[in-house]
Amino acid sequence: MNKHYALNPGTRSGPRTREVWPPWVPHWTLVLMLAVVLMLGLGSPLVGLGAWVVPGPDTAAVAAAEQHDCLRCHGMATMAYRDPETGELVNLSLDKNELAYSVHGKLACSQCHEGGYDQYPHPAELSAAELNCVGCHEDHPENTDRLDFSVISQEYKKSVHATSDDPEAADFNCHSCHDPHVFRASLLGRKIPDIVAYDNQICLSCHEKLRDPLSSSHAWLPNRDKHWAAVRCLDCHTTLNDSDRPVSHEILSAEQSQVNCVNCHSQGQGLLARLYQYRSREDIEKQGFFTKAVYNQAYVVGMSRNPLIDWLALIIIGLTVLVLAGHGYGRYRAYQSLREQQAGTATEGDKS
Amino acid sequence: MSALYLYPVWLRLWHWLNALLFVVLILTGASMHFSGTSWLLPFDTAVPIHNTAGILLTISWISFVIGNLVTPNGRHYHVRFRGLFKRLFAQMTYYGYGIFHNAPHPFHVTENEKLNTLQQLSYIGVMYGLMPLLIISGWSFLYSVYLPETLFGLGTLWVIAMAHLTLAYFLVLFLIVHMYIITTGETLITNLRAMLTGWHRESDHDNCANAARD
Ligand code: HEC
Ligand code: HEC
Ligand code: HEC
Ligand code: HEC
Ligand code: HEC
Ligand code: HEC
Ligand code: HEC
Repeated sequence: MNKHYALNPGTRSGPRTREVWPPWVPHWTLVLMLAVVLMLGLGSPLVGLGAWVVPGPDTAAVAAAEQHDCLRCHGMATMAYRDPETGELVNLSLDKNELAYSVHGKLACSQCHEGGYDQYPHPAELSAAELNCVGCHEDHPENTDRLDFSVISQEYKKSVHATSDDPEAADFNCHSCHDPHVFRASLLGRKIPDIVAYDNQICLSCHEKLRDPLSSSHAWLPNRDKHWAAVRCLDCHTTLNDSDRPVSHEILSAEQSQVNCVNCHSQGQGLLARLYQYRSREDIEKQGFFTKAVYNQAYVVGMSRNPLIDWLALIIIGLTVLVLAGHGYGRYRAYQSLREQQAGTATEGDKS
Repeated sequence: MSALYLYPVWLRLWHWLNALLFVVLILTGASMHFSGTSWLLPFDTAVPIHNTAGILLTISWISFVIGNLVTPNGRHYHVRFRGLFKRLFAQMTYYGYGIFHNAPHPFHVTENEKLNTLQQLSYIGVMYGLMPLLIISGWSFLYSVYLPETLFGLGTLWVIAMAHLTLAYFLVLFLIVHMYIITTGETLITNLRAMLTGWHRESDHDNCANAARD
């Protein structure tokens, strides 16, 4: 198979053309190659239909070998081409490490990029863009037992990004936020600040103007950057509901978003409850009982603040202190008069 | 001069540990509650200290209860109901009136009764009422993730927060009054010294006055 990769993509220059095959290649070579591919493929349960089980040890090895093959070229950091139509640079390189840690890191490339990519140049009619998270996952529910992609898709369809008529949001889809080669869903036990940073990076990669410290956006939120390090954009920008899923994809418009501090800083922390589900269960198992109690984040700033109780208590305490001071003064006076009396009786005693 | 050994070592150790924890908890608690105020501890520092002190306070409280169960000290917390109101009234008129007129103390410390009725009732209220509630509300914070989302139709955490806050204010109030009241012994430091040395000493003069009244 390797001989088909003879062309070094690093030397490719000029506008990218999408011919299927150079015209001098006779058709029987194609047929022959197909046969070779099929024969090799028989050994691998990954190729062909019904191969959607999680790869076992031997299939994992096959998948790894295939990834290795593709990454010979696509692992190069500089691999990119300029789209002749739009003039934009299209990045074709994948980060090996990110791929390895991603949810799809154990899959053979061909599981998504079906048919033909193992040849180079790749056949032109193939396009990865049609692949779709929801389609594939709905067809193969066995690949996850904890996610319901139909629900995600329904939520997404109601989100600002999907309903916006802003031209910039025109071809928004799952891949706008999730690179299938990089995405790793947060799991129980990951540290909350890491999750927050990871999730917010997704949003800020496009909404980068918000990062500008001079931007007036979110100016009403005290300590904006601290909040952004402590809570997810999602926590304020999705509906407040009792769902036990940590992520909602129904991103609300600016007007509908949560501005209410009390939702986090008091009243049961409705918003944070969703985020903190990541933490709650992990904690006791991983950390000792006491460590968990000592380094506990259940209390957020201002949660116990209640002006009524504060004022009442401070007034009562203040009054008590005043009364006690008055009492002390009264005792001092009594003590003085006792001393005078004693001095009086003493001198009287002396006289008598 | 009369001297009674009223405060065994364990009790004094417990008392001063408890006092220290109270102070630490009030300081760190205020730092968390009024976070952002410049002269308080930073929030991040206050939280682990508060939580640690809270755990220690729990242990300290449990030892107090056990101590009172297994040692004779517990007898000071058995309320004598006969004449309760009379004694209470006498104590209150003393603090409210008699003390300003150098009236004799209506209560005489003995080996079997070291707490006057007012003291006794307020200590029982604090140690067996407020303290367990405070401790429970504190632990509910720490393990709030295991509690139901709402309680009586309100957010559970909010209910806990308000309870903890109110109890904390009550105990601050108690601490202030307590620190004042202990100065009303025969001399300003009679009671303080007793809690430090274990020995309650009164001059014979006072004993005579008491004896005369009895
Ligand atoms: C010899 C180097 C080389 C190897 C090996 C290689 N590719 Fe490519 N790949 C390229 C180049 C160059 C392009 C861009 C030009 C094109 O589309 O032909 C590309 C483009 C792609 C694209 C983008 C197509 C699009 O949508 O525009 C995908 C997807 C892809 N390769 C997948 C794979 C997979 C999967 C493998 C392994 C089975 C693989 N490649 C192996 C060089 C390689
Ligand atoms: C879970 C499915 C999936 C797997 C597994 C997968 N890809 Fe992709 N790949 C896609 C999708 C979907 C796109 C199109 C993304 C888009 O439209 O932005 C894509 C796009 C690409 C592109 C085009 C450039 C880009 O990043 O958009 C290259 C190159 C590519 N994949 C290479 C690979 C290689 C090499 C492997 C194996 C190591 C691989 N892919 C494994 C789903 C997958
Ligand atoms: C062509 C099929 C295909 C496509 C397209 C695809 N996936 Fe997957 N996905 C899989 C398979 C197969 C697995 C199981 C991988 C494993 O268990 O190692 C998986 C696993 C996952 C998991 C982990 C599931 C779990 O229970 O932890 C997540 C999350 C996920 N995919 C999200 C996505 C997202 C988001 C997209 C779109 C960007 C996407 N997938 C596109 C096939 C696909
Ligand atoms: C506006 C950006 C955005 C879009 C568009 C988007 N997602 Fe997400 N998605 C996120 C964020 C942020 C997370 C949280 C990531 C994390 O920490 O697990 C997430 C998480 C997920 C998860 C993991 C959920 C979990 O409970 O662990 C899946 C699966 C997923 N997305 C699938 C999809 C699918 C399918 C689509 C298209 C219908 C989609 N996403 C579109 C931002 C987006
Ligand atoms: C791929 C780029 C991209 C990503 C990633 C992205 N957005 Fe957006 N977002 C847009 C575009 C484009 C619009 C529509 C134009 C506009 O109003 O700015 C938009 C609109 C919005 C709006 C509505 C603004 C309004 O005026 O009503 C909100 C809120 C929003 N995004 C939040 C988020 C959040 C939260 C995330 C992360 C989960 C996210 N976005 C991720 C591109 C993105
Ligand atoms: C404390 C809750 C909260 C957090 C956290 C938050 N937002 Fe917002 N955001 C809002 C509210 C409320 C509005 C609408 C009021 C306004 O226009 O400022 C808004 C407005 C927006 C808008 C549209 C208007 C504008 O100012 O551009 C975008 C886009 C946006 N947020 C993105 C984000 C992103 C990205 C993050 C994460 C880095 C984030 N938000 C974090 C509450 C929040
Ligand atoms: C999505 C939940 C959420 C919302 C909504 C929210 N906060 Fe916060 N806020 C937090 C969290 C979590 C922290 C703790 C940050 C930390 O310790 O790093 C925090 C910290 C703070 C702080 C202290 C920052 C510091 O110096 O440590 C202040 C002040 C504050 N919030 C005020 C507000 C106000 C006012 C609002 C409403 C306009 C608000 N918050 C809305 C979650 C939220």
